[in-house]
Amino acid sequence: MLLFRSDEHVDKWCGDWKLPRGETFTPEQCWRLAREWFDTNRGEPRWRRRTAAEAQALFDALGFNSPFWRLS
Amino acid sequence: MGQSFGEDFDREVRRRIYDFTEREGLPPTISQAAAELSRGAEEIAASLARLAEAHVLILQRDSNEILMLPPFSAVPTPFVVELGGRAYFANCVWDALGVPSMLKRDAEIKTSCGCCGASMKLSVAGGALADARGVVHFALPAARWWDDLVFT
Repeated sequence: MLLFRSDEHVDKWCGDWKLPRGETFTPEQCWRLAREWFDTNRGEPRWRRRTAAEAQALFDALGFNSPFWRLS
Repeated sequence: MGQSFGEDFDREVRRRIYDFTEREGLPPTISQAAAELSRGAEEIAASLARLAEAHVLILQRDSNEILMLPPFSAVPTPFVVELGGRAYFANCVWDALGVPSMLKRDAEIKTSCGCCGASMKLSVAGGALADARGVVHFALPAARWWDDLVFT
């Protein structure tokens, strides 16, 4: 999960490493995801890992609902 | 009883290794965690193995030391998160943004373009992202993240 200067740099990197292009989005979208995903300090006793269903619901709520984001 | 003791102990280990990381900038080694909790290294290593099995963290393959304690990295990465006078390494751009989210603090993330190495920066202030340029790329679809979390 990397940051690139532009879409062209994503394409060049994928080409250099002979990898299929994954999914791209804006830093703002990534921030919204990080803000929700890491909403609780993981050192706190009450923290627990999300279930797949909970993670899927979060992705859906944030608008990450393409096949790329399907967990099953 | 053994099981509940194990869960309580693992929860305490989790709390203390996150506290240590926030305070020191890097996740603890097994011996540092053992000293932190006044417990034996073997007990700590066993607890870390259980936490890894539960996908709470990822261990280094040969040493069984912590590799990733999301969102933190125990080894240097291209994602340096400056927060509260400390510099933390994050595992990826998502985790880099996860550090200020989890710690509820402003931060500056210093990184570089994954393609060309040009320096890039993201800033989080007052719970909002500022100075946001660039494109985030996730290489693997979500269903495969746990296949190889090091490469996503």
